[in-house]
Amino acid sequence: MASEPLYDVIVVGSGAAGGIAGYVLATQGLKVLCLEAGRMIDPAKDFYTHKFPYEWPYRGGGKPGQYGHLPQGMEWKIKEWTDHLYTIPDQDPYALAPGAKFTWTRLRAVGGRTNVWGRGSDRFGPLDFQPKTLQDGWGDDWPIRYEDVAPYYERVEQLIGVSGSHDAAVYNTPSGEHLLPPFNARCGEMLIKKGAAKLGIKVAPKPLAVLSQPYGGRPPCHFCGACNWGCDVSARFSSLDVLVPKLQHLSNFELRTNSPVHTILRDPGTGKARGVTYIDAATKLEYEAYGKTVVLAASMVESIRILLNSRDREYPSGLGNSSGTLGHYLMEHVAFNSLEGFFPQLAGRPVTNDDGPGESCLYIPRYNYGAKNKKYLRGWRFDFYTGCGMGPGPGAAFPGFGSSYKQKIKELYPAAVSMSGYGEGLPFYSNYVEIDPDGLRDRYGIPQVRFHTDAEYPEALAILDDMYGGIEEILKASGAEIFPYKKVAPYPLGSVTHEAGGCRMGSDPRTSVLDEWNRCHDMKNVLVTDASCFVTHPEKQTTLTIMALSYRAADHLAEEFRRGNV
Amino acid sequence: MSEQMIGRRETLKYLGMLAGTASGRDFLAAWLPSAAGSRVQAASEAPHTPYSPQFFKPEEFRTVEILTELIIPSDTTPGAKEAQVARFVDFIVFSAAEFRPEMQREWIDGLQQLDRLSRDKYARPFAEASPQDQEALLMEISLPERNPDAEHPAFAFYGLVKDMTVDGFYSSRVGLIDALGYKGLAVLSEFAGCTHPEHQV
Ligand SMILES: Cc1cc2nc3c(=O)[nH]c(=O)nc-3n(C[C@H](O)[C@H](O)[C@H](O)COP(=O)(O)OP(=O)(O)OC[C@H]3O[C@@H](n4cnc5c(N)ncnc54)[C@H](O)[C@@H]3O)c2cc1C
Ligand code: SF4
Repeated sequence: MASEPLYDVIVVGSGAAGGIAGYVLATQGLKVLCLEAGRMIDPAKDFYTHKFPYEWPYRGGGKPGQYGHLPQGMEWKIKEWTDHLYTIPDQDPYALAPGAKFTWTRLRAVGGRTNVWGRGSDRFGPLDFQPKTLQDGWGDDWPIRYEDVAPYYERVEQLIGVSGSHDAAVYNTPSGEHLLPPFNARCGEMLIKKGAAKLGIKVAPKPLAVLSQPYGGRPPCHFCGACNWGCDVSARFSSLDVLVPKLQHLSNFELRTNSPVHTILRDPGTGKARGVTYIDAATKLEYEAYGKTVVLAASMVESIRILLNSRDREYPSGLGNSSGTLGHYLMEHVAFNSLEGFFPQLAGRPVTNDDGPGESCLYIPRYNYGAKNKKYLRGWRFDFYTGCGMGPGPGAAFPGFGSSYKQKIKELYPAAVSMSGYGEGLPFYSNYVEIDPDGLRDRYGIPQVRFHTDAEYPEALAILDDMYGGIEEILKASGAEIFPYKKVAPYPLGSVTHEAGGCRMGSDPRTSVLDEWNRCHDMKNVLVTDASCFVTHPEKQTTLTIMALSYRAADHLAEEFRRGNV
Repeated sequence: MSEQMIGRRETLKYLGMLAGTASGRDFLAAWLPSAAGSRVQAASEAPHTPYSPQFFKPEEFRTVEILTELIIPSDTTPGAKEAQVARFVDFIVFSAAEFRPEMQREWIDGLQQLDRLSRDKYARPFAEASPQDQEALLMEISLPERNPDAEHPAFAFYGLVKDMTVDGFYSSRVGLIDALGYKGLAVLSEFAGCTHPEHQV
């Protein structure tokens, strides 16, 4: 379509990465087109924040079998509250190489997965950007350091609103200086804090992208605990509720929904990108949009898929893949089943409303620095959940029936505790994604991916045992009774929804896809700013770092425009 | 992340975990001195509105009512009867036709198996046995839950019934709010958290 205007930047995706990139670029005056695969959502109609299970036809669980086979880590997300938001895998499948597992959580809508995310927002630390140099000589360092990213963590925290505590900073787990006050902790969380203290382990307020005070025109949290279904008052950060409203009135920002991007267009003369092709989701017709630069922020898998699908004569294995590393070095936390139990000292206490800000208010940052005789690399963090939930709790695990059984449930209901660990996931070339060689296509007709991913590598198995041990030790020191459990193999990549890697940054174009400003080495006017750029995957959560890096890359791009370098 | 929200938001995840392992046995010995105790309470009045089951035959539905009320009886707090858990079961099993038809087979077969056991023991189908005999039979088929070495051919059906009863009861208003006392999903101006001096560090 020759009549298409020329944009300064085409941003692909409107989730965490795309929302931030669009915000930074458009508020600095650049002419931005944001192409979003999904639809616009209306929190008033699409979020069922205050609906109880008994207000749903199937008590929230859906018609038996309705969601088909859900991979590990997806079962709890897709419910009657949310099944209209997520992509149900069986309805739009992706391919797995024989023996491979991958949990790919897709939410195609304005705001992406920030509409339902867990809001945990910790920063990476100095050692996490340079693990090879500063920790153990294994793997690779990032081409940037903590000091390069710290100012952008700060800006993102200010923009989105994060509650926490600067005093919470522990070694290599930095914390912002201007956070909103932290949330008050529940009884069980205090018991764990006491127990861990006996072992010399620090329990810290969990930084959450939830408002503990009115902030930026948004109301504070009202403690309904339903954030995973979408917050009805925008008290937690989402791109939809916080960033899009700041952009929609700008004449230099355009958001085009239902427009999944298929490929990047390249000018054979200059060798640079000149725009993208995208599908109109309603008609399935393909269109072109033209831009001086393209920022891919469609989530890890999707951005890689676009680059792989953009192969041409010069880049037969995918655009930006002269290094041969595109799609490789995929990572995820080392994750496994949580340990469940109860606090005898809390059994039979009066029921309290423990929903709070929907997440735990305390957590255990990595504490094993300098540990001797480690059989594994790097470390982990622990999360824990306690108190009265929306279900029968630990008593239901007991045998029997009748009044005594019902009494047991009632007695242990306020005493519930569970704890889980997240270990640093390591990058391996052998964990990769490609375009499905058997020709699978997605619902828009775009060639779909096939995963070659294995979470059960030796280093993951090695760290797992110590994580189980650590959890037992802390729970016992807190006085909890732990249910007997089975040790399992590490959960599949993607199961924590913290998938990362595949377009890693690096200073050497022969071993990395992106430079230190998230630009493709091969084509400096294509940027990738989601978690695919990650070089390592420490035990910390991904999204705050995605946003800080996207902010940094977009800020630099805007500067390049001002200097006339684009 | 927040996979553990499962514990706070999901209706049920624990069932059946304890049965079958040596460590489970030790755990239970410590925490369940009176594992065997369960008493059937006098049945209260039937819910007022008439109900025609969508999936079960009337006599099957009667059995489902009895089973759910044995598992979660009405005592000092309302039970499966007030929460109409049998209707929930009927509705779910009916709805399974589309994507999980094998669930319907499991229920039909299980109910027939229960009646066979009851006829062998008491010379009448389960629904017509005395409340004491009904409870005794349920105790018998649930034995593997308390004793990892025991087996019973109807234990799988017991698990199915118990799972869906607990799920149906604690996801109902009667079960979640009236019996359990869940106070959340509310709008609060403040979240005090733990205020007990003895829990502070
Ligand atoms: C239930 C849940 C809990 C979570 N909890 C946490 C947590 O506590 N802490 C944390 O750090 N992270 C958490 N996460 C992960 C977090 O949501 C993601 O890390 C984050 O949203 C990723 O941002 P993104 O922009 O890369 O992708 P997304 O937010 O998924 O956004 C991608 C956007 O791109 C669009 N898109 C995709 N393909 C195309 C295409 N071809 N063309 C155009 N648009 C496209 C999508 O529709 C979507 O809107 C959680 C996720 C879930 C689902
Ligand atoms: S707990 Fe707070 S942030 Fe979460 S949905 Fe409720 S009001 Fe929104």
